[in-house]
Amino acid sequence: MVPQPKTLIAKNGTTPTVFLRPSHGWAALNLRDLWQYRELVYFLSWRDIKVRYKQAVLGATWAIIQPLMMMVVFTFIFSRWANLPSGNLPYPIFNYSGLMPWLLFSSALSRASMSLVGSSNLLTKVYFPRLAIPLASVMAAVVDFGFSLLVFFGLMIYYQIPLTWNILALPVFVLLAVLLAFSISLWLSALNVMYRDVQHMVPFLINIWFYISPIAYGSEIITSPTWQFIYQFNPIVGIIDGVRWTLVGGAFPGTSLLITLAFMLLVLVGGLFYFRRMEKIFADMV
Amino acid sequence: MEPLIQLEHVSVHYRAPSERVATFKEYAIRRLQGKIKHREFLALKDVNLTINQGEVFGLIGHNGAGKSTLLKVVSRVLLPTTGRVVIRGRVAPLLEVGAGFHPELTGHENIFLNGAILGFTRTQMENKFQSILDFSELGEFIDAPMRTYSSGMWARLGFAVATDERPDILIVDEVLAVGDEAFQRKCFARINRFREEGTTILLVAHNMELIQQMCQRAAWLHHGELKSLGEPDEVIQAYRQAQ
Repeated sequence: MVPQPKTLIAKNGTTPTVFLRPSHGWAALNLRDLWQYRELVYFLSWRDIKVRYKQAVLGATWAIIQPLMMMVVFTFIFSRWANLPSGNLPYPIFNYSGLMPWLLFSSALSRASMSLVGSSNLLTKVYFPRLAIPLASVMAAVVDFGFSLLVFFGLMIYYQIPLTWNILALPVFVLLAVLLAFSISLWLSALNVMYRDVQHMVPFLINIWFYISPIAYGSEIITSPTWQFIYQFNPIVGIIDGVRWTLVGGAFPGTSLLITLAFMLLVLVGGLFYFRRMEKIFADMV
Repeated sequence: MEPLIQLEHVSVHYRAPSERVATFKEYAIRRLQGKIKHREFLALKDVNLTINQGEVFGLIGHNGAGKSTLLKVVSRVLLPTTGRVVIRGRVAPLLEVGAGFHPELTGHENIFLNGAILGFTRTQMENKFQSILDFSELGEFIDAPMRTYSSGMWARLGFAVATDERPDILIVDEVLAVGDEAFQRKCFARINRFREEGTTILLVAHNMELIQQMCQRAAWLHHGELKSLGEPDEVIQAYRQAQ
């Protein structure tokens, strides 16, 4: 039997006709369907943000307090006590500029990986493109990043460090961080539907990942060429170094950024197909 | 006129593991031991069904007979394992109204969220807002978080959002048991108006009088098989005799 696309939406007059057939193996991506539901992505991430801060007394200030407190703690541990170098920058600035993209990436990743299981009531009741759920979760993390960026500008004024034109490239790196989180979460969110191990694994994974990424220390600290080469294969390295480059200057991450892009493309495309393939059993399994 | 709902040789298998294997470790161990046993469970067996425009179609059968599975196939939540389904037109699923509401958000906010879940744009929802509010009779409560709502208020808003615009196909799954009598009457009035205007209605109920009253045709599902199809009276009789 010739594999048939799962859904074909044909416009005849005003009423759409939908043909549903069993999908064999790798279903067609059907991204046009997702495009038609783009407002759903917006509303779902808006819901996530709203609900997250609604019942908290301090509300959205939590998005500022969290990275700020982490930066203060890291300054004491890594700068005062462990004496890690931060180039010619004050350590708080150095640390915070790496912390921001890291928190964006890690919170997007952890939220999106849990997102499908958290939306079981929707998955079993209504049709809509399932990709909207992890996509909305990663988008919601961008708002927190925006708040933390405001604090960063405050810090820059306090330390009297001028911004450079490099900052114009910041949106590109933000997009990369979000896309990387989304790509990985396509796999993890679908796997989590079948194996709830994923939700125990993700916080652990993020914890370890933090220490092997250039947040508390700079990539230059690794001097051995062999280790430097291996280090670049951590896909977040290029993004964190890139964000630092846009905000406080330093070396532009050439090779590591290329590795990030290659890794992401592979994981994203594979993830999209994997997600679509598993999609049909979501309603049975969540 | 082409039928709005066509099911051709539709089967739905659930691959239910005979024991729940919840973790990957357990799965890996059992897999190696060759102990993964799947009980192939057929929720629908080779169902052929055609429902025309403007028809009110009733589905009966005991619990677990496959009625909900059939509704889920029609509302696109489940894909058939084999066979083909054709749906012509917009489907409004009333499978448990208000499933997409979030308790921390206000009724107002939830109207827009639920509208997006049902595939409407924000502009469309802005135009519908007043009539949804009027129908739900929530008044000032519309700006309170939905966790403060009674179950009746919750259902009222769910029904009002899902049915504000006349759908081509309406799926009613015993939801009308909620809400007070006055509101139930209002819901039925709206469903009747839809029917007169040409909406196809798929109704699942355990209340046989309701099926007799409302439906032109009915079907009896038994363990996933279509046992009887035709006039509601005959189908109900066949169903009762089998019990």
